[in-house]
Amino acid sequence: MEYDTMMMDGESLGPSVKISAADDAYVNFQLSNVDLSFANSLRRVMLAEVPTVAIDLVEVEINTSVLADEFVAHRLGLIPLDSREIDQLNYTRDCDCDQSCGKCTVVLTLHAKCTGDDVMKVYARDLIVGIDRPNNHIGNPVITDPDGLGSLICKLRKGQEIKLSCIAKKGIAKEHAKWSPTSAVGFEYDPHNKLHHLDLWYEADAAEEWPASKNANFEEPPAEGEPFDYDAVPSKFYFEVESAGNIEPDNIIHEGIKEIQKKLAGLIHGLGENDGMDAGYDGPRSPDGMDGGAGWQDQGFTTPYGNTGGTTAWGGGGAATAYGTTPYGNSGSGGGW
Amino acid sequence: MSNNKHFNEPDDPFELFLVNEGDGEKKITEKPFAGTSNTSDFILLKEDHTLGNLLAEHLKQEPRVLMAGYKVGHPNVPEVLIRLQTDGTISPREILIDVCKQLIASYGQLGREFTREYELRRMVAAGEQENGGR
Repeated sequence: MEYDTMMMDGESLGPSVKISAADDAYVNFQLSNVDLSFANSLRRVMLAEVPTVAIDLVEVEINTSVLADEFVAHRLGLIPLDSREIDQLNYTRDCDCDQSCGKCTVVLTLHAKCTGDDVMKVYARDLIVGIDRPNNHIGNPVITDPDGLGSLICKLRKGQEIKLSCIAKKGIAKEHAKWSPTSAVGFEYDPHNKLHHLDLWYEADAAEEWPASKNANFEEPPAEGEPFDYDAVPSKFYFEVESAGNIEPDNIIHEGIKEIQKKLAGLIHGLGENDGMDAGYDGPRSPDGMDGGAGWQDQGFTTPYGNTGGTTAWGGGGAATAYGTTPYGNSGSGGGW
Repeated sequence: MSNNKHFNEPDDPFELFLVNEGDGEKKITEKPFAGTSNTSDFILLKEDHTLGNLLAEHLKQEPRVLMAGYKVGHPNVPEVLIRLQTDGTISPREILIDVCKQLIASYGQLGREFTREYELRRMVAAGEQENGGR
């Protein structure tokens, strides 16, 4: 068993993080002092359950381009839209409005016509974002290229025109991958395959044909003739979280953590409910649990379950809750639920 | 319900993750299992391996738990079953709540640890940039 020196600082018994590379598009880190299921749940939740905004409904008024309406609609859906501070946007299904409103949707319109002889390229920057939205960045097409163009939507020849309006909604990648905040999450452990979780196929020489990953530098290679350790478990996980552009990479991790915590808190609540406290609980509706609960809105990295004192999400009113006084918030004046 | 739907019926876009409370569905239900003592099955609706594996693995690490396991019965059916047997000093329900709380705390700790490392790194990067400019 090898112990990581990172355990020495800070919260020495809990998860330990070491960031090896980061910029505004990705963050690479090593997670240690946790087990495989813990790391894998974080990976899964970052891929599939962190909410973002994406175009979901498209109303085509004019489309004389060579692309079919649904083809263009699909392309529009895949354009990353700024999803920072997504908490300020409701899920349309939970919103008080009839169909859609500024609290749960962002409207984007597009109108382009080619009048010149050259082929006209229509880019994401040509989308006009409606003003009725929770803040002035949510739903903006993400533009990171040096020319400030954004994703290419379609090309128009002389005389062709496209005119449409789009409704962008909040959603998660379990419904459609366009809502994924990540373009990829790299996940590796045991780069030397000491645990034999992989059975590497080879032609002549496995070491030759399976070049070591860059993470192999962080771990000791197996010594010559080292016996197989049957009790060894993976303990260090290499993450490479790459943002699609809609949420900053570090926030993807924080949002992912928050989503798992909400899921777990939902279970605690569900289990507590069976214990004779069936008093008019509406129950979680969205994957983010409780809609409209002010207790869930936090600023920055503090989780709703953190040590934020009295108003925690499940500290809540009466001491009669099944989970009573917990380390996550004692007494407190009613939180989210 | 999702498993006996006609193929021509439109899909419910939320069927993977939204508990349908109108139909009396509950996120989690406990069913005592008669075969062995102190054993319960927990049925989690609209969940998958993310929670199933996490909870089963962490339940196994509890000394008072004799047996814990989970299954996702069919890949197209978003339901998880967790079977849990304790040694009798605590009920399965209580230990499951305990483990959930521990995990929430651990993930919270991870979040704080990540923030600390990330900010530290940013400060170092900013410092280097400043020095490089001179």
